[in-house]
Amino acid sequence: MKIIMDGNEVAATSGQTILEVARANGVRIPTLCHNDALEPAAMCRLCTVEVDEGRGPRLVTACNYPLRRDAQVFTNSERVRAGRKLIIEMLYTRCRGSELLEELGREYGADFTRFAPNDKQCIMCGLCARVCERVGGKTLTLSGRGVEITVATAFDRASEFCIACGACARICPVQTIKMIDEDGERRILVQGREASRVKLIECVSCGKRFGPVLDLKEINERAGDSKVPPPNQGVCPECSRRNLAARMAERHFEQFETGEEG
Amino acid sequence: MAASEPATEIICQEPEVDFMLLDRIINEDFGGNRETMIMMMQAIQHEYRFLPEPALRYLSQSIGVPLTKIYEVATFYASFSLIPKGKHILQICTGTACHLRGSHRMVEHMIEKMSVSPGGTTEDMKLTLEVVNCVGACAVAPVVVEDEKYYPKADISTLDKFIERINAE
Repeated sequence: MKIIMDGNEVAATSGQTILEVARANGVRIPTLCHNDALEPAAMCRLCTVEVDEGRGPRLVTACNYPLRRDAQVFTNSERVRAGRKLIIEMLYTRCRGSELLEELGREYGADFTRFAPNDKQCIMCGLCARVCERVGGKTLTLSGRGVEITVATAFDRASEFCIACGACARICPVQTIKMIDEDGERRILVQGREASRVKLIECVSCGKRFGPVLDLKEINERAGDSKVPPPNQGVCPECSRRNLAARMAERHFEQFETGEEG
Repeated sequence: MAASEPATEIICQEPEVDFMLLDRIINEDFGGNRETMIMMMQAIQHEYRFLPEPALRYLSQSIGVPLTKIYEVATFYASFSLIPKGKHILQICTGTACHLRGSHRMVEHMIEKMSVSPGGTTEDMKLTLEVVNCVGACAVAPVVVEDEKYYPKADISTLDKFIERINAE
């Protein structure tokens, strides 16, 4: 299989996606909805490239297009740049003020005044829903279809399944999902609406609030071994580490006077 | 409903969910197989004319599919509804062929006649008007579907007959 990317022959194995090949060979393809830990979804369309497998050039999404035969790939042709410019302009109408989109817009010469704003603070990339399904409590989902897609919890109510891991807030490329720890509670806000509210545990040692109170059954199940005892829920990781270090020091080292006790 | 009755009556319009019936649908009709979830949901919707939340929660528990996934499917397909529907359902196709043959005028007629918006239900819960995309019978456009019965080459008189019938009930 011979892959020519932007004029240079590159190494690729059959079945690799265009994006994987490009990244392995140092070719930059911009993405918004891609995360290496998650299945490609081709939601944002920004990774569109031109590919010619002998039947004329076509526009495809690089993140989920597997290469299986000889192909020429153009990752930055005029047609590709024009397509990306339009995608950025349209996404920006939904997500005004996003620094990420503004930066991409500068790169592709996007005209942000071209379309009327319709601000939803969401680019429908679906990363939050996908990461929630993978690592979280399967709380967030995309409801509706087409341009009406919104990030939602079941029945649009604060969810009882959320484990308050905050993966959604961290992965959101436009910072629409917020995780707020205050007054002993952690709240996940999606577009300003509360998706979940979980109590935080207070460390019995230092009093710091450090993590959500959870029914850990499902997490232990997912960890695979029911014999593994649940993590010590009462002590924060820092105290836990310090206490362990102290115990080790007590056990293995002779006490000595430092002279500055106090 | 009498005016003297307490206001809570209005909130309790949703039907009580019959878990025996749900069990029969989920386990007997479809063998509790999660691949048949959409068909189960169709059967549930057929029973209640919408998807009651307790039924979906029970479905989620029974077949081990996260509730959010079921919600996603329920909101993705236009044929599923999470809000109660009227006793009769009128679907007007506004797919390309039907649209070209003037189905939007039938929609306007219904809006005017029954004061119901597309997707909405009349206040007496008698009629739900749905505007659908294609019912797969473009050759006989425009098509309306009244309570799962297809009417080819429909026009305003077809609708008027339907309105008469449900008003006579």
